[in-house]
Amino acid sequence: MGRWLLLFVLGVIAILMVSPLILTVFTSFKPTTELVNPPWAPPVSLTFEHYVRVWTEAGFSRYFFNTLVISAVDAVVMIVIASLAAYAMVFMEFRGKLVLRVLFLIGLMIPVTAIVLPLFQIVRGFGLLNTHLGVIFADLALALSVFVFVFSSYFVGVPKELHEAARIDGATEFQIYRRVVMPIAVPAVVTTALLEFLWSWNDLLLRLLLLTRDEMRTLSVGLLNFQGTMTRDVTGLSSGTVIMAIPVVLLFLFFQRHFVRGMTAGAVK
Amino acid sequence: MFLDPESKWAPRLNLFLFLMPALTIYIVFAIYPTFSVVEYSFTDWDGISPKRNFVGLANYERLFTDKIFWAAFRNTFVWSGVIIVINVGLGLVIAAMLARVWKARLLIQTCIVLPVVISPMAVATIWRWMYQPTGVINQVLEGIGLGGLATPWLGSPGAVLYALALAHSWSTIGLSVVIFLAGLQAVDENLYEAAHVDGANAFQSFRYVTLPALRPVTAVVFILTLTQSFKVFDIVWATTQGGPVRFSEILSTYMYKRGALEKQYGYGSAIGVALLVIVSLATVIYMQIQSKEDR
Repeated sequence: MGRWLLLFVLGVIAILMVSPLILTVFTSFKPTTELVNPPWAPPVSLTFEHYVRVWTEAGFSRYFFNTLVISAVDAVVMIVIASLAAYAMVFMEFRGKLVLRVLFLIGLMIPVTAIVLPLFQIVRGFGLLNTHLGVIFADLALALSVFVFVFSSYFVGVPKELHEAARIDGATEFQIYRRVVMPIAVPAVVTTALLEFLWSWNDLLLRLLLLTRDEMRTLSVGLLNFQGTMTRDVTGLSSGTVIMAIPVVLLFLFFQRHFVRGMTAGAVK
Repeated sequence: MFLDPESKWAPRLNLFLFLMPALTIYIVFAIYPTFSVVEYSFTDWDGISPKRNFVGLANYERLFTDKIFWAAFRNTFVWSGVIIVINVGLGLVIAAMLARVWKARLLIQTCIVLPVVISPMAVATIWRWMYQPTGVINQVLEGIGLGGLATPWLGSPGAVLYALALAHSWSTIGLSVVIFLAGLQAVDENLYEAAHVDGANAFQSFRYVTLPALRPVTAVVFILTLTQSFKVFDIVWATTQGGPVRFSEILSTYMYKRGALEKQYGYGSAIGVALLVIVSLATVIYMQIQSKEDR
């Protein structure tokens, strides 16, 4: 009996947790005439009209594309630079390694919110305001530490003998990195790709500061502005929200195990 | 051969090539601004003019007498407190229940963790809509006979901060649950066995076996929730911008207003430094606990 009660309570919690998302999806498909019905009533006749309207007229197609470009570039470049740096930190001997380790540790402590004012000035100084490149550099810098540590923790597990053997066989450092070490760190690559893509996709603050021209904007800023000007457009807002959520929800459902492992990796060891 | 491993210079060149991409970006766009924000905080810069004057501690003196800063400071702590109570307390309870269930466990876990990946901006839109005076929250309250509690949540001075904290907790509690679950799986099964033999009921074994075993994990979730909730900007900015009046103003939104919108770079930076100090302290404690764990 206890088991069933437990299952029942958990079931209720699970339904409460997803219901805000389900209600939003319901609303996004409702014809305007059905808005008088309570939010938990499913749409009687489905309409895609709000999606079409938001996608074409409100510019969400462009926001979507901008967000996709920034997030994908972030993820790919992060994998490369974080793994290279982690390789140097783990396999190479050099002076100042401890200083460098502390420097990377500092990165784990810096809250983005606290340093956005000077960050804005630096991006402006490079002439990168209103460019995707400016946002990408900022994203990479602010999350780099996390992923250097993610890769390091995998690299440390590579058997020293394997590494030495490759070196004796005359392989260059880059060949060892490419052929020996990276294939072992595939889980770290997946974790990095997923988390960096997700963080980049979801961020508002940096994009709000660095992208002010409409054609450069991302979904987060686009949705914020849409909300500001079309406050009462419940159906439009719902479909905009769904458009923003769909890609990451799908990624999560496909790679749930990796997400969960990535999110807990830093926290529990 | 440019990268000939036999060459005397190869190790240095390699080191340079491996570290330089990451290090350049990192120093220019993360480390340098961290020092800059401290430097700005001692000036009267407006963010635009080429000239900035050194004003010593003037911005910090102003901080201490600024009623709005202290309101934001207080709100930030209340905000974090509420989120910690929910994410740590309820998170632990949900994880403990989930650990005892096999049927439908993955499905339930998926539902609880799913909101974690939703953008704070989307979370803001969803909850703003649900919190409307005629929104679904008030409709449900009326439906179950608690219509007296209905209020315009985001417009109510007494409720707004708690309402937003609840929305934030909704979107982050999945992370706590997952971390607690990982911790629970590491608890020695034999301890439960022994407790069962000694005649302990479910509550007692939770109280005397699970809780002590989870103390380090609880500390981790506690500090993690604390640092993450201190950094929040998006969801508050996208719903109330700190309003009504200042009732949901937190440090990050106040800094954004003074610094980015009003162009008081010096003063905004002083607020940023306050935020930096608090989060760094919490993170240092967090890493200390973790390194103790590793040993």
